[in-house]
Amino acid sequence: MSKNVVIIGAGAGGASVAAEAKRMDPSLSISLVEGGPYTSVAA
Amino acid sequence: MPYYIGDVIKEEKRLIARTPEKFRDTGIDVKLNTSAEGIDADKGIVRLSDGTAIPYDTLILGTGASAFIPKIPGVELEGVFSLKKLDDAIQIKNFINNKECRKAIIVGAGFIGMEMSEALRVRGIETQVIDLLPRPAIRWDPEFSKVILEELTRQNVIFSGETGIVSIEKGMDFRLRMKSTRGEMDADIIIIAIGIRPNTKLAHELGLQIGKSGAIQVNFSQRTSKEGVYAVGDCCEVYHRVSHRWVHIPLGDVANKQGRVAGRNVAGGTMIFPGVVGAQSFKLFSLEVAATGLDEAEALNSGYHPVSNIIWGNAIARAMPGEKRLGLKLVADRASGKLLGAQAVGTLGAVNRINALSCALWTGIALDEIAYLDFAYAPPVGPAWDPIHIAAQELMRKL
Ligand SMILES: Cc1cc2nc3c(=O)[nH]c(=O)nc-3n(C[C@H](O)[C@H](O)[C@@H](O)COP(=O)(O)OP(=O)(O)OC[C@H]3O[C@@H](n4cnc5c(N)ncnc54)[C@H](O)[C@@H]3O)c2cc1C
Ligand SMILES: Cc1cc2nc3c(=O)[nH]c(=O)nc-3n(C[C@H](O)[C@H](O)[C@H](O)COP(=O)(O)OP(=O)(O)OC[C@H]3O[C@@H](n4cnc5c(N)ncnc54)[C@H](O)[C@@H]3O)c2cc1C
Repeated sequence: MSKNVVIIGAGAGGASVAAEAKRMDPSLSISLVEGGPYTSVAA
Repeated sequence: MPYYIGDVIKEEKRLIARTPEKFRDTGIDVKLNTSAEGIDADKGIVRLSDGTAIPYDTLILGTGASAFIPKIPGVELEGVFSLKKLDDAIQIKNFINNKECRKAIIVGAGFIGMEMSEALRVRGIETQVIDLLPRPAIRWDPEFSKVILEELTRQNVIFSGETGIVSIEKGMDFRLRMKSTRGEMDADIIIIAIGIRPNTKLAHELGLQIGKSGAIQVNFSQRTSKEGVYAVGDCCEVYHRVSHRWVHIPLGDVANKQGRVAGRNVAGGTMIFPGVVGAQSFKLFSLEVAATGLDEAEALNSGYHPVSNIIWGNAIARAMPGEKRLGLKLVADRASGKLLGAQAVGTLGAVNRINALSCALWTGIALDEIAYLDFAYAPPVGPAWDPIHIAAQELMRKL
């Protein structure tokens, strides 16, 4: 079974984790949980 | 975001680096408008606001920080805002576009306050900034605050120091009336920018170690004190390469780098985030304001014996028309002769000097080498003896 990765917050930090982890290991099962309506917002 | 509010950036979608669809295209499950409300570490599950729960083997906290809002009467009134999330920026811009805004008060003269003063002036709004401290952008030397203050005055922004916010109520001629420690003032819009706090509720629940700064403790691979749990961005600390301490410097570029490092490690790689030297800058109308490393007080606190100087030079060759005055302050350690920090203010070239000096801090070189560093020289972009050379040579005499 693939490893479950849960990321809380899809700001600059969390979004970067998701993108890099998936790029390095496509078999990971990644959930990006975000309280707001956007991902990856630049300030 | 301040540039979006100032309408320099027209559309909010330009502020989104990567859309949810793009994440989904790569096979990542994105849950929007869904908060993580609790974590059961024993079972390894995260409870979500939609009533579901998801299991994890590896957990990453990227919960960011929130604007600090003082508990005073009236902060909930229409026209009172803080600026942290994109929704805040959209609401502020809509408010300015659709409601009468003649007069604004900004509470707090830090980064947000300074950038917002420009955004509001660009929108033609009369703007006043208040701060508890006597000077705006207090991190910078008083001599540079003077230049910042002159720029604010030139742009018709009123600054009131040693002034705190007490309460806000509905106004008569203007939408709002604000009571301050120095009397009452009118405004149609009030922006509160008095700092941010890391979001550590879930971290506390998990029993993670929290650092002295109040942010989550991490190591160089972004791991927290609990196996399988990482933290990145504004919610966690970062290693400061000059003070050799773990600090809370909540910046976007740091969050991006920490995120990539954590992502690599989560995927089974090995990567470390080597820390920061504290490089930072903001633009205020025609001024570039920048700093890196430590100021004297921080240097003393970190066990150094600091000595400093300020020079006023020209960012371009003297023979060129139109002087570009540049103020540069260096802080060095008497014992080792090493650079500890720098600050710069000017209409041109302040940020690029600070970036160059950030490299010097990163590698830890001493003033005698900085005094003769090889920089690109051409009259319109810099003098043969750069202000960096001059400042380093002068400061060496004080060692
Ligand atoms: C708009 C913005 C731009 C940024 N730009 C950069 C950047 O370009 N590069 C970079 O590296 N980092 C940048 N940062 C990061 C910054 O260092 C931190 O993220 C953040 O703490 C700054 O937020 P602030 O302006 O609200 O707080 P601070 O910089 O902490 O300023 C708050 C001010 O409010 C005053 N204050 C506090 N309480 C009161 C009160 N009751 N009444 C009146 N005044 C009060 C304080 O004296 C202080 O001057 C930026 C942050 C923001 C928000
Ligand atoms: C006005 C402004 C200007 C700035 N300018 C600069 C600048 O010029 N240069 C610079 O370097 N930095 C700047 N900064 C700072 C920069 O924006 C931050 O450092 C950066 O956004 C941090 O990224 P992050 O991912 O840690 O946090 P954030 O971007 O705050 O993201 C955290 C996310 O987590 C979500 N979240 C939190 N808790 C939960 C939960 N329980 N469940 C689900 N989701 C949750 C939030 O909704 C949020 O989307 C600025 C900040 C502001 C406010």
